[in-house]
Amino acid sequence: MDFTFSPEHEALRRMIREFAENEVAPIAAEIDREGRVPFEVLHQMAEMGLLGVCFPQEYGGMGAGEAGYCILMEELGRICTSTATNVGAHIGIGAMTIYLDGNEEQKRKYLTPLARGEKFAAFLLTESDAGSDAAAIRTRAVRDGDHWVINGTKTFNTNGSFADIATVMAVTDPTLGARGGITAFIVETDTPGFEVGRHEDKMGIRGSSTAELVFEDMRVPHENVLGKVGEGFVAFMKSLDMGRLTLGAAGLGGAQAALDWSVQWARTREQFGVPLAQKQSVQWMIADMATEIEALRSLVYRVAWMVDTGQPFTQVAAMCKLYGSEVASRAIDRALQIHGGLGYSRDYPIERAFRDARIAEIFEGTNEIQRIVIASRIFREHGVRISP
Amino acid sequence: MRITVILRRVLDPAGIVAHRRLRRLFINREEYILQPADRCALEVALRIKDAGDAEVVVVSGQPEPSDDTLRRGLAMGADRAIYLCGESFDDADDAVVTSVLKTVIGQLGGADLVLAGATTLDTGQGQLGIRLAEALGWPQIVGVRSVEAKNGRLRAVCQDEEQFVLVESDLPAVVTVCPEAVKPRYADGVRLINVYRGQGEMAESLETWDVGDMMSADELVPLLESRGRDFPPERTLGERVEGTPDEVAQTIADALRQRLRG
Amino acid sequence: MDFALSEEQKMFRIMFEDFSTNEIAPIAEEIDHEETPPLNVLRKAARQGFLGATLPEEYYGANLDFVSYALLIEALARDCVSIAVTLGTHVSLVAMSILSGGDDAQKEKFLPLLASGEALGAFAMTEPDAGSDTTSLETKAIPDGGEYVLNGVKTWVANGEIADAGMDTLFLAFAEAPEGITAFLIPADTAGLTVGYREPTLGLRSVPFHTVYLEGCRIPMANRLGGGGEGREIAERAHRRMAITLGAAALGVAEDSVDVAAQFATERVQFDVPIAEKQAIQNFIAESATEIEALRYLVYHGAWQVDHGDNSAFDASVVKAFSARVARCVTDRMVQVMGGYGYMEDYPMARKYRDARALGVMGGPTELHNVLIAQDVFSAWDVEITP
Repeated sequence: MDFTFSPEHEALRRMIREFAENEVAPIAAEIDREGRVPFEVLHQMAEMGLLGVCFPQEYGGMGAGEAGYCILMEELGRICTSTATNVGAHIGIGAMTIYLDGNEEQKRKYLTPLARGEKFAAFLLTESDAGSDAAAIRTRAVRDGDHWVINGTKTFNTNGSFADIATVMAVTDPTLGARGGITAFIVETDTPGFEVGRHEDKMGIRGSSTAELVFEDMRVPHENVLGKVGEGFVAFMKSLDMGRLTLGAAGLGGAQAALDWSVQWARTREQFGVPLAQKQSVQWMIADMATEIEALRSLVYRVAWMVDTGQPFTQVAAMCKLYGSEVASRAIDRALQIHGGLGYSRDYPIERAFRDARIAEIFEGTNEIQRIVIASRIFREHGVRISP
Repeated sequence: MRITVILRRVLDPAGIVAHRRLRRLFINREEYILQPADRCALEVALRIKDAGDAEVVVVSGQPEPSDDTLRRGLAMGADRAIYLCGESFDDADDAVVTSVLKTVIGQLGGADLVLAGATTLDTGQGQLGIRLAEALGWPQIVGVRSVEAKNGRLRAVCQDEEQFVLVESDLPAVVTVCPEAVKPRYADGVRLINVYRGQGEMAESLETWDVGDMMSADELVPLLESRGRDFPPERTLGERVEGTPDEVAQTIADALRQRLRG
Repeated sequence: MDFALSEEQKMFRIMFEDFSTNEIAPIAEEIDHEETPPLNVLRKAARQGFLGATLPEEYYGANLDFVSYALLIEALARDCVSIAVTLGTHVSLVAMSILSGGDDAQKEKFLPLLASGEALGAFAMTEPDAGSDTTSLETKAIPDGGEYVLNGVKTWVANGEIADAGMDTLFLAFAEAPEGITAFLIPADTAGLTVGYREPTLGLRSVPFHTVYLEGCRIPMANRLGGGGEGREIAERAHRRMAITLGAAALGVAEDSVDVAAQFATERVQFDVPIAEKQAIQNFIAESATEIEALRYLVYHGAWQVDHGDNSAFDASVVKAFSARVARCVTDRMVQVMGGYGYMEDYPMARKYRDARALGVMGGPTELHNVLIAQDVFSAWDVEITP
């Protein structure tokens, strides 16, 4: 068992950390305040090859694997959750679906510009009646000659408002439900019939875009069906699994930042004649944070290794997302407590991290869904089927 | 155009705490970084390469493997990297390093431009570029902020205290670059992965040269011997001198004379 | 032991809830978004007698007992924690300090102004180096010919500036005088007092938290509250009242969060049923409801103790520590019940989550209260605990 990172992953991490500290950190508060997506940062990342970090070089990616992608999300998560969210939606579910289920043509045509960061991607699944119950989507795709016509509305979508290429889940056979009735499509958003609707006013990750997207008789060529007609559900479940792992990595970064801030503050802030670091309440919080972070780190990178070595990972990826989001929430809550009033003030980054962290337990499959995924895998081995 | 860039690494000062009272250095985090000034030097070289046809070779040699320094240089855009190693090279002082580098440049078939950082974070002496220029017999332009090089000529802007000075020179020349002169680019991710994995177009780009094969043992004997390290004494409170300018000047001159004698 | 609210208290509660539903609920989102203090609501509250809630009639107060006042705070917090905190600061920290610690002249001069809303009370204790630890203050009060001269900086002063015609701030400030920490009443227009920076906050965004500068601020002896060196005790008692008050606010926000989320759960259909039928959601609701019940009687009992002059440091700290935790946990769970809708600012849950988080750090962080509770427990064995 070798628990060390390869030299190239170490070098990659150093490069990303430096980038995140010098280019992303200075604008993190501003993009939260202004509620804007930091395109200037995303373009720099594209130039460095980071927006295709896990995709093979033959498709314009960097070839650093899931481990490389986790490193990217961890280092971004440490500095700015909004930026990590933008990147995660682009790589981890947007482009990833094309990578996992696209044919050669589709990969060359769509994955390559996405991996190079020349275009942005989004993943369109959620609707107002289909949140956790993703199979309940109603966006409809009807065959018309060599095209499909799509009608419907997607809600709470990340990146959809500026993405060039999107993978969309639509119902192609309303009688069949999840098994056989849903198809995944690659759409170019400048096709007529695609409109960006309302932008959501979120508590956190305000440097990312969450919007409603409306399809009105949008025509998509049949070559843009991802995988086979009727097999979209499986396609998007695969993507979501991959995405979950990297959300755990982003949580790891966020938790680490919370720990680092807390240690610095506890070291210097004196009350009752001693630094806070001398108080057991504070020591215990720091110790608990650090322990959970270690456990999460091992979990995340082990699962990345499992993905990179072709092992099944659905259950453990769900664990990464579940544990990662909760560890980050607990860590940032403790950090806020340690910082007292400063943790509550918008002049310091802690309250932003607090707001940003909260979404992780909700999106990409709520933690309740993650628990169902985990429990159902466990019980299935004993012949018991669980449904949500 | 052939550009050689000297890269050096140093312990990250952020991981070091100097405790004056205990007269000790605490190395809390032993991590090495590429000298900021050398990094700027490489960036300058790459910008010249971007503007025209040039081959950039990065050279480094340290007691321990500095493959990260060189790989980073390659990932940023250098074409070739030479890692200098050898037992006899371990205790090299500036004089030895200079003669080694002169030999290396010869082995490379010469260069049109040699770039290095003007100062280093550890000693801050900035001797390397100057010594190398002397050894090669080339013009030296020290402490530049920007460089253009074309058709056998170079133009550089140096900062001399409060003023900027425009310098022109023939090539070949040795130029040292100020830290913070330019914003160095980030490495290219694909190049980075390929350099480390030794694949793709970066497969053969990192070479190891044994200094002992190139030079005799005599040539590698250091001129300086390090006998130890100490801290300068802690600064004491000064004495305020009052009076007319003439009186003040006299008092200070007398005090200095006194100190020199004592 | 009679655990029932009196008929009068039940009636008051209905009245308070009506006021809150009609006057506060419609503007809660807006004042959070605009970060403006709710001046109109405060004036209406003043007309209802809320600003002099526990003050005797002779000072134009409503003469409510502390339990009824807790019901008021609870009702207001259901719709807007910010307003509850503003009112709580005004009544529990400032007005009641003057009531119990002031001389007749001070009571006659200031209490009617506070009751009518012409003055809004602000409490200035915290300093940059004195957060949890207020054993010594940097702000000094030097006696000088029948007056005190105050110099120093106060931070996180709630209600620091509610600037508008007809509503001025009255500061109750604490400074280190030769005799010890001493309390002073300082109207906002006093020379040498400058209201400065407003702290932008995660929640409680319509409570103005200001930095206040005291530079050569001269206070006449008549405005010293209590004797020289008696400020510590005045602050102590004020904090204990505020602990119960914030407990009531915690109760209100927790209750309303469960109401909002439970209703959502009955309407939101996923996997063909309302999510209320899912055990995970039921657990969130059940745990929250249990904690709220425990908190309810803890808070009412604490309020009852205030009425009986029985409100000890232990009781106050227990209420404060427990209520902060309940508010945090309940709002967190209810955000989860509402899913994405719990994260959007155009639904109330996100705001409640942000507001509730303050309760764990303001009025003394939970860790400090734990020390005070431990102090009380160990004092039975003569073991002295210091923070």
